[in-house]
Amino acid sequence: MKIKFFFFTFIYLLSFFNFSYADNSEKVDQISKNLRCLICQGQSVYDSQSDFALSMKILIQNKIDEGKNDEQIYNFLKSKYGEWIVYDPEINKNTLLLWVLPLILFVFGGILIFRKVSIK
Amino acid sequence: MLNQIGNYSLYIALLSSILIIIQSPILLNTNNINVSGRIFSLISIQSLMIIISFIALITAFIISDFSNETVFNNSHTSKPLFYKISGTWGNHEGSLLLWLLVLSIFLFIFTITSKNLSNKYRILTLFFQEIIILGFLLFILLTSNPFMNLFPVPKEGTGLNPILQDPALAIHPPILYLGYVGTSIIFSSSLAALISGSVNKTWAKHIKNWVLISWIFLSIGILLGSIWAYYELGWGGFWFWDPVENVSLMPWFCLTALFHTILILEKREIFHSWAVILSITTFSLSMSGTFLVRSGILNSIHTFANDPSRGVFILCFLFILITLSIFIYFIYQNKIKNNFIKTFIVSKETAVLVNNLFMMFFLSVVLIGTIYPIFLEVVNNDKISVGPPFYHKLIVPFMIPFLIFMAIGPNLNWIKDKIDKINLQQLLFFILSIIISFIFLKRVGISYLFSLPLFIASIFLFLITIKDFSVKKTNLSQKISHFGFSLFILSILVNGVLAKEYSSNMKVGDERKFLNKTIKFESLEVNESKNYQSLEANFKISDKNNSINLKPEVRVYDQPQTITSEADIKSTLYSDNFLVFNILKNDGFYNVRYQIKPFMIWIWISVILISFGGVLSIVKKND
Repeated sequence: MKIKFFFFTFIYLLSFFNFSYADNSEKVDQISKNLRCLICQGQSVYDSQSDFALSMKILIQNKIDEGKNDEQIYNFLKSKYGEWIVYDPEINKNTLLLWVLPLILFVFGGILIFRKVSIK
Repeated sequence: MLNQIGNYSLYIALLSSILIIIQSPILLNTNNINVSGRIFSLISIQSLMIIISFIALITAFIISDFSNETVFNNSHTSKPLFYKISGTWGNHEGSLLLWLLVLSIFLFIFTITSKNLSNKYRILTLFFQEIIILGFLLFILLTSNPFMNLFPVPKEGTGLNPILQDPALAIHPPILYLGYVGTSIIFSSSLAALISGSVNKTWAKHIKNWVLISWIFLSIGILLGSIWAYYELGWGGFWFWDPVENVSLMPWFCLTALFHTILILEKREIFHSWAVILSITTFSLSMSGTFLVRSGILNSIHTFANDPSRGVFILCFLFILITLSIFIYFIYQNKIKNNFIKTFIVSKETAVLVNNLFMMFFLSVVLIGTIYPIFLEVVNNDKISVGPPFYHKLIVPFMIPFLIFMAIGPNLNWIKDKIDKINLQQLLFFILSIIISFIFLKRVGISYLFSLPLFIASIFLFLITIKDFSVKKTNLSQKISHFGFSLFILSILVNGVLAKEYSSNMKVGDERKFLNKTIKFESLEVNESKNYQSLEANFKISDKNNSINLKPEVRVYDQPQTITSEADIKSTLYSDNFLVFNILKNDGFYNVRYQIKPFMIWIWISVILISFGGVLSIVKKND
């Protein structure tokens, strides 16, 4: 844990000397692909060039520079903008059916078919 | 003047619709040819009237008749002729008129091509189809009349959303609608067959063509939408699991399942009820799609109508249709022949059932993913987004067995195949695909959880479908479609794994290194076009051996004022070079996004192959 902390501070300090947009932008891309651009019509933050999306990307960049990991960043954004912002809904009591219902249907259909076929 | 013509012809069409609906139950039990003749002339009049009203609307768009409210809201004199015409269906009112047009033309075609079938079946199909037509006519006349008068007549219109001014998008809606509306015939005829007790071989044979036609148009329609999204929306992707995209994919899954079921029904006289259920579901999904898109419930690029009263109307209409069909199904289902014998586990019949199971699973993932957020928001006011990660997580693991089944299934025999004989050839291909995938992924350096099995399964399918061309057992159209599908999956995978992207802020004269390439922002010039100004950039992408120039544009449309960025794409058989740029707030800098997308063109080609298999199947049968 301590090593991690030092490592991140090191990166953080480094980022002051070597600040540019292109740096770890791959990480920003990866995260922003999973975020909804809230003011756009069905676009991700990554795809959008709106002011919101641009400031969002800078925000993510800053969070990465602060040494936050993916989960911390998602959680931060969720607490600020709500679940609406992430394209990958987490599994909780609200979304359980969303994740499980297709699987139940698949199993159910499978059983139905199995009863229709004979093995002999 | 045009408005009057349009309005009156729609009212005459409404009248014919009511007349047909009233008359057809009376005619059910008579075999009088004169009476069918009368219904036929009513249908002809109706189609003619709807065609006239559609021509009236197109004409209003062409001559920019701003006394028409729809034209005023969606057109502008400076627009090129092609987009004036496509503007006809680039809006809510016009697109519904197009739906109606296709509905009535399809019914007309159905009437003249079904002469050798039983009178009862034909009249019942007409009856149900007329109910749908009546619903759409009322919807158009009551809530979305495209022929509203505007007085005083404005001098200039407000223009068409520039993002819609594009060749692919101009023909995308009509093609897609042909697919959607084709399912209405399947729906009506399956209910008719159910009531007249003729869900059988003959029906399967007859409806198969309609299933294929809808399926082909739907496939091409979806393809056009994807191609458009790829080059116009400026992010280099072709599918985003956007609700409106999903809505077109759902009937596609259903149609694919239905087509395979119909084949079995035709050959073996089993799965009658399932075919009827699928027919009803397919159309319900097409209708719900229209409802979801038109009602503005979905948060999407495509929603250009946000009027709640319209949504309520379609919702009620949809509810009535679905309830009606469920009632009819339960009342008449005992009429369905039940000569079901258990099929052997290793047989073509089971293979089709497995295909259906997967299709229904994919359908349910997409359906639930699309409507669950709406549902949740209504129930407890929580807003969630369901996007690409959700769909990938649920679909990808199931894709693996699906692809393997798809490779094995078509080679099985009807009724019963040998279970004990291990197919040495298939085993060999499987081992070969393991080796290829392993080496490929090793070289690329990808090690996601599912990537190896997914690659193995899709390469296996690819090899088997190629090998199948040498086998005489199955027909050519199937081979082409299945090969197309394997190519489709493989291209997507390779594209996904090998795609490279670079994004940076640059100003004129800047140079950036990316991989082994140099990206140089050479120049920027302003051009004037008829209805927009454009900033055309010139980028030179060069590596050791050669260089290409990419000229993306940023367009500033004046009516309505909108900025769009047009990507420049250089396609080769191996890969696409994709470059798009955007204006940034700080002076002189532009956001540049450069992508290398391997095998992109094969994604399009494979969809065309898939559809071509369908076309071939229709053509061949009529020989």
